[in-house]
Amino acid sequence: MLLTTVARQGLCSSRLQFGVLYRHAVPMGTTAKEEMNKFWTKNTRLNRPVSPHVSIYKWSVPMMMSISHRGTGVALSSGISAFALAALVLPESYPYYLDLIHSMSFGPQFLAFSKFALAFPVAYHTFNGIRHLIWDLGKGFRIPEVYRSGYIVIALTVVTSIGLAAM
Amino acid sequence: MKILISSHRSLAALVHPGNSSDLGLLVRIMAALVRISSVCYRGVRPLLFRASSLIRPLAVQKKDRDCPYFISAKIHATPSNYAGSGSKAASLHWTGERILSIALLGLAPVAYYYPGPAVDYSLAAALTLHGHWGLGQIVTDYVHGDFKIKMANAGLFLLSTVTFAGLCYFNYHDVGICKAVGLLWSK
Repeated sequence: MLLTTVARQGLCSSRLQFGVLYRHAVPMGTTAKEEMNKFWTKNTRLNRPVSPHVSIYKWSVPMMMSISHRGTGVALSSGISAFALAALVLPESYPYYLDLIHSMSFGPQFLAFSKFALAFPVAYHTFNGIRHLIWDLGKGFRIPEVYRSGYIVIALTVVTSIGLAAM
Repeated sequence: MKILISSHRSLAALVHPGNSSDLGLLVRIMAALVRISSVCYRGVRPLLFRASSLIRPLAVQKKDRDCPYFISAKIHATPSNYAGSGSKAASLHWTGERILSIALLGLAPVAYYYPGPAVDYSLAAALTLHGHWGLGQIVTDYVHGDFKIKMANAGLFLLSTVTFAGLCYFNYHDVGICKAVGLLWSK
């Protein structure tokens, strides 16, 4: 009882210099992964609802760009996998199918648009990927910098996609 | 008892997270004190002291004058003086992802100016692995539960294997990736 009071007094009156003081260090028996699993199994078992987050939070440009990075990544990956699967499954060669598509005589605008549609996710994911790598170097985390680099990525993406579609 | 109090306070005042030897001593003293005093009547979970190298520092926040409680923050900290107790696998994976991304970035101009089988197969490998690791992060983010995680990763592995096989097949038996893009864009 006395020790408890003493401990509390000591805690409250000491000057706090840093956010976290490694004063009471207690070893843990579980890993981070185990703790995460424990959280999810317990909460799904108890059928607890998840608080609304993406459905209520105001969308911002960085948020949209982040999920678009993930979205373009999934789309491109799926495209590559589909292409690879087709290569394994389809009987004829690539030039054959390409000629087949050309023989369907789509207008030049359609062709240009398709090139743009293919180039856009590649360009976006590439430029935003570079932005991510710059973040990994520790640069550009201030909010104005985040927005500025974001707009640059969008501008570069549009310009590059138009340029590639024109080729 | 008074000596104990004053030493406790003076030690607390001297705390500097940078100094590892003092920290180690302090950690042991504090852990013993905590074990004895067993915290406030907030009913915090029992604190187990084991001689394992994973420690959990509790964050102390002073909000106002009369704060008998300390708010604990669970942090998985592996201080350098406990080096060797954790695996570097995750850290190395992260670095590998970045290196691969940069390599893939460099492959693009090479593919444009020097198309050929070497670049075709490099592209097949780099694209598949980059996609595999990227999708792996998505699985980690959204899939929970041991069995589901295992299943999702198994499915992903299968997909990536088939993708790589298909791309290599295309490179060998067909025109190859670089030529394919060139042909597609030529019309």
